[in-house]
Amino acid sequence: MSELREVWAHRELLYFLIWRDLKVRYKQTALGPAWVVLQPLLMAFVFTVFMGWLARVPSGGVPYPLFAYAGLLPWTFFSSAVSTAGNGLIVNGPMVTKVFFPRMLIILALTGVRLTDLLVSFVALLALMGWYGVGVRWGILLLPVLVLQVTLLAVGVALWFSARIVSRRDYATLLPVLLQVWMFASPVIYPAGLVPEKWHLLYSLNPLAGVVEGFRSALFGLPFDWAGMVTSGVVTVLLVAYSVRAFLRADENLVDII
Amino acid sequence: MRPIVQVRNLSKSYRLSQAAQVGRPSSGGFARRLGLSVERLRGLRPGPDKTIWALRDVSFEVLPGEVVGIVGRNGAGKSTLLKILSRIVRPTAGEVDIYGRLGSLLEIGTGFHPDLTGRENVYLNGAILGMRRGEIGRKFDEIVAFAEVEEFLDVPIKHYSSGMQVRLAFAVAAHFEPEILILDEVLAVGDAAFQQKSFRKMQDVIREGRTIFFVSHDSSAVLRLCERALLIESGRLKDDGPAETIVKRYLAGVAAAARA
Repeated sequence: MSELREVWAHRELLYFLIWRDLKVRYKQTALGPAWVVLQPLLMAFVFTVFMGWLARVPSGGVPYPLFAYAGLLPWTFFSSAVSTAGNGLIVNGPMVTKVFFPRMLIILALTGVRLTDLLVSFVALLALMGWYGVGVRWGILLLPVLVLQVTLLAVGVALWFSARIVSRRDYATLLPVLLQVWMFASPVIYPAGLVPEKWHLLYSLNPLAGVVEGFRSALFGLPFDWAGMVTSGVVTVLLVAYSVRAFLRADENLVDII
Repeated sequence: MRPIVQVRNLSKSYRLSQAAQVGRPSSGGFARRLGLSVERLRGLRPGPDKTIWALRDVSFEVLPGEVVGIVGRNGAGKSTLLKILSRIVRPTAGEVDIYGRLGSLLEIGTGFHPDLTGRENVYLNGAILGMRRGEIGRKFDEIVAFAEVEEFLDVPIKHYSSGMQVRLAFAVAAHFEPEILILDEVLAVGDAAFQQKSFRKMQDVIREGRTIFFVSHDSSAVLRLCERALLIESGRLKDDGPAETIVKRYLAGVAAAARA
């Protein structure tokens, strides 16, 4: 708890760290912040060609490009936040070993940077929905809750990995592999309905399954899988609680071994 | 008067050669020969680690307004002590009580980013040191004037000369005003003229009655700035007293070691 109070006391630094990364990222780029939208859009295009047209993966009545883009938004946020924030303590090593501030702030800041990306890419999503003539429904009111959940999830996984990576660099190599597997284990480019019934319970233990499906239901007015979403919510809370504890325990001597 | 900093029986140990174990030839299965045991990945393996004591049983008290120099040879434990006082490193044993806002300058320009402008870096670096946005804003003109970089404020600092960069970094640091200030070798930046200016600025800071810890290899700087000094040798507090006496003993010890 005292650690969380410390984070709150340093909130201004959190703001500055996010601001720094946003500012630095687009210096000397021609397209600037347009990349935030272009990146998932290009991915959605690639998956549309291979999954939508060639493999003819069903997309629940929603045009496949829209279906893929809506799934890629939370996934791209999660995976880019976890991979940058997970390595955050190493990358910011000089700062971590020279100044005092709660180390958790680094992970929060890097996740915050990706969160702003997510919010920007919603704009393109709305444009895309307009193009395909898909209207906004009441379900969209649930979207902020889902964004909060995926943010917590990203922070949790990044906290756990960042502490592990400091003591064993092996985890830095493992992380991208895990994320790759995790993407295919989540309904990002295919609907969860494609998973056989008997695997449903196991599948819904992946907290991202509930988030990604929830995103689509909220955006396109599809029915919500409440049981799956509650399971995913519970797993998220447990995972975050465990990661925060693990991080704080590791924090005792992080600086000694960085 | 009540002390502002109290250090009691402070010790810090580091375990060495953890990493050296990975890949060490050992008998056993294939995975083990590759150095892939689960214990090793979890970092739990209780191997023959060597423990070294960077600090051992250090105790002292500092009163408000005291300016304390810390002298000792390379590797004596000075930086470890400063890092523990700054809360960056946690002690293995012992306690540190600090009654007041503490700021430390172990390095200047922490967090400076080459692609950001001088103006942006001042705000960023100030925030990293622990200054509030309002505080940085109030002192902004003074900082820029001190660093003598007014004309280049909106230029990315990667286009600055290295001298300009350190001047700007020092200027931010020098306008940071916590009650307790920890300084590690940060005065020796810039050309001779700027060094004199920095030194005068430090003397002003001292006159304002702040409590300061000062580490330097430059004994004359310690003598000119500090009234009291601590001598650290192999992690132990060897001596504590008036700066003149302590620095003399430290130099005598160094000279004796050089002859031997």
